[in-house]
Amino acid sequence: MTFALLLALLLAVPQDSARRSPGSARTIAIDERLAADLHIGVGDRVVLGAQPGDTGQYAIVSAIVRRGADPAEVARSEYKIRLHLTQLEELIGYGDRVDRYAVATRSEAAIADAQARINGAAFGFHAHRSRDIAVQTSATFAVVSRFHRAIGVITIVASAIFLLCIMLLKVDERRRDVAALRLMGISAGTIVKGVVLEAAGIAVFGSLVGVGLGALASWLVNAHYQGVYRTPLRFSVVSGDIVLLAVSLALALGVVAGWVAAKRLVSVPPLSLFGR
Amino acid sequence: MSTVVDVRDLVRDYPMGEERVAALRGVSFQVDAGDYVAIVGPSGCGKSTLLNLLGVIDRPTSGTVSINGERVERLSDARATEFRLMRIGFVFQRFYLMQALSARENVELPLAEAGLVGAARRARAMALLEYVGLAKRERHRPSQLSGGEQQRVAIARALANAPALLLADEPTGELDARTGREMIALFERLNADGTTIVVVTHDEDLARAAKRVIHMRDGSIVGDERAR
Amino acid sequence: MLFTLAAASLIRHRTRTLLAILGVAVSAAMLLDMVMLSSGLRESFRGLLQTQGFQLRVAPKGTLPFDTDATIRNADSLLALVRARPGVIAVSPVLGGQLHVPTATGAVTSSVLGIIPRVEGDYEVLAGRQPAAPDEMVANQRLLDALRLQLGDTLRGAAGYDAQLRSLSGERTLRIVGIARFIYMAADQKGAAVPIETLRRMQGADSDDKVSIAMIRLAAGVNVDSERVAIERLLPRVTVISIAEALNQVDQRLSYFRQLAVILGSVSLVVGFLLVTTLVTVSVNERVGEIAVMRAIGVHRRRIVLQIVMESGAMMLVAAPLGLLLGLVTARYLNSILARFPGVPAKLDFFLFQPSAAWTALGLLALSGVLAGVYPSWRSASLPIALTLRQEAVG
Repeated sequence: MTFALLLALLLAVPQDSARRSPGSARTIAIDERLAADLHIGVGDRVVLGAQPGDTGQYAIVSAIVRRGADPAEVARSEYKIRLHLTQLEELIGYGDRVDRYAVATRSEAAIADAQARINGAAFGFHAHRSRDIAVQTSATFAVVSRFHRAIGVITIVASAIFLLCIMLLKVDERRRDVAALRLMGISAGTIVKGVVLEAAGIAVFGSLVGVGLGALASWLVNAHYQGVYRTPLRFSVVSGDIVLLAVSLALALGVVAGWVAAKRLVSVPPLSLFGR
Repeated sequence: MSTVVDVRDLVRDYPMGEERVAALRGVSFQVDAGDYVAIVGPSGCGKSTLLNLLGVIDRPTSGTVSINGERVERLSDARATEFRLMRIGFVFQRFYLMQALSARENVELPLAEAGLVGAARRARAMALLEYVGLAKRERHRPSQLSGGEQQRVAIARALANAPALLLADEPTGELDARTGREMIALFERLNADGTTIVVVTHDEDLARAAKRVIHMRDGSIVGDERAR
Repeated sequence: MLFTLAAASLIRHRTRTLLAILGVAVSAAMLLDMVMLSSGLRESFRGLLQTQGFQLRVAPKGTLPFDTDATIRNADSLLALVRARPGVIAVSPVLGGQLHVPTATGAVTSSVLGIIPRVEGDYEVLAGRQPAAPDEMVANQRLLDALRLQLGDTLRGAAGYDAQLRSLSGERTLRIVGIARFIYMAADQKGAAVPIETLRRMQGADSDDKVSIAMIRLAAGVNVDSERVAIERLLPRVTVISIAEALNQVDQRLSYFRQLAVILGSVSLVVGFLLVTTLVTVSVNERVGEIAVMRAIGVHRRRIVLQIVMESGAMMLVAAPLGLLLGLVTARYLNSILARFPGVPAKLDFFLFQPSAAWTALGLLALSGVLAGVYPSWRSASLPIALTLRQEAVG
């Protein structure tokens, strides 16, 4: 079992220039961020200490590991080293102790039972469900998510106004055509239907283009922030339900905007539309 | 008597698909100061094209146009604008007044552009409206005026900067017979007061009122007669 | 005259103008919010760091203050060297830890700072006074509420708690002599402060001579950066961080918000620009005949452009204060969401209103309004006059 803890990595020295090990060097795994920043590779010998100024212990880097997509780690610049549990206990003088341990159950149904039994029987321990811990550790992202949702609402309001404005302009541009149709005897209802259909078409087409732009933006956002924060975490996901929401919303807004604009136009007498 | 308009070998053709259609085919004539010229001819004979070239809102394919001794056919846009503002007065068939402005403000528009401000501008505009008989309707918007009244405002506007040449394109085309006659009388009065006028028209009465009639056909002058 | 024409054009299509103004106002609000977000957090954090007048922070080598559990050993002698420097007015050492207070139902755990009361810079005393004796402490209201205690009460607190044995270590009786607001603690964080020697004793022999960080106040006129370099040279096992450096670190960590602000701000600006451009283009297209007539009677192209720019400018002008108001309201709301970030100091504002932010937003908006009007108007004023008039007559 390995245990992860942030350590002060005092010195990283290549094997050739390494001093004598006070004991037999054990193996550690380091994360790729640390490996990249300090130019450490597999097989290198490093000195580990729990505090700045400690004599430390030698260890050999046996693996470079990739970080998991953990939201709680985003924006933190710390490095990660994984040691054998006993090695870490010895290094930091912690004795035969652990901060926490994980318990795997055979089934979902067994979780509550195991949790109750641990909490009831093991003096000094408290068992938490992984899901609850996940909720706690991703509190930052829950806030970001709420923030994004609020921005989304503002964007929808702006889009609705924009769409209504554009539809009014588009319909207004066709005053003469509409007047001619009315004079030919085409009913107001037919004209409204035609305009609404056109608005719906524009809205759907526009939203599909928007989905394409969104997917591109999402790809750029992920590429950028995965690089900035050096994490495989996906910051932006264009999912099916988001696409559905965007298209339906645009369609609804388009239909309403088209209907309002067309109703305004057909309420004007045809001759006035001709400017007479 | 000085020459206000001197047109020589004026050609204007337009691209129409792969071909070029000639609107004017080498027109030459002069107009003296104080003259009143009517250009007549069937639709499409090139009379409006000729008027546009005299008004410096179009450029000839070849040939020269001099107004008041100044060559205008190749003026820059800015200089042509300046020239139109100070030397040319335009009257259009459809009046083309600014609907948002009152009668007086419409007359003030070219005066403001010429840099006249305040009371002097208002006084000049009012004098012109007085001249065309609309002083009492200075605050009315074009939509509150009849066709004849709108055309009078348009004439007052055209006269704002005392132009050397007044150009009118079918000025009676949108008016009824009675209002048309009033308009003809106004043009005669203008000319009698010294304004040089070139008018393009289908209106025989208006043409008859002119001192000189130029007949055009297929982009060429086919007749030039003194009416009286 | 131009103003009348511009106003008339806007009034002629009231609904259209109103919608455009609303659209621009929402864009302006968003733009203002994003300008506030992009600089607000940094400025707010700067204000926070400058609150107590300490220009430098000393942390264990390679760490940021309280970013890890690392501490500086032999701190007293090291800090004495710093204190002896002529440019240094005060040094405020701080040791961080936890205070466990057993209650009937378990234990309340709070952050605790070991400080020197006369030079501390971590809290403001709201009621009562600073600790003057080793067994005195100040606490924030949240801790007092959790313990149901008040000013003047005493408590039995411990620096260590063994969960397995449920035993406390480093217990001490402390009297609450002040209620404090901790500058760098989150709104929902329980906090307390005791004299540093008291906390060291509570934490055991191991803590005798160590600090988590130290803050340094410099005399006026001392060059902060050269002093920082000099202290770092003097104490090779520490990192000395100036406010500028701390701000850079914050910038790096919270670059997401700055970049988000730039992206959303740009999108808002583009949307506002597109809206006005579309409107002006359509409005100008409807008036090509009128514009051709104006050109024919001698009105200069630049005057026509000016008139149309005035129209777009007027829309921006009306929309701007509306957007400003809307922006302030939404910024307040968005700030209330982001304030719930775990561990964010209660006094930190993500959206900080500064006149410069408003001016920047308004300036960008005005510029986009002008640009939105220039192209369509120039294009329409450049159409061939004779041809346009002929087409209008036919149309």
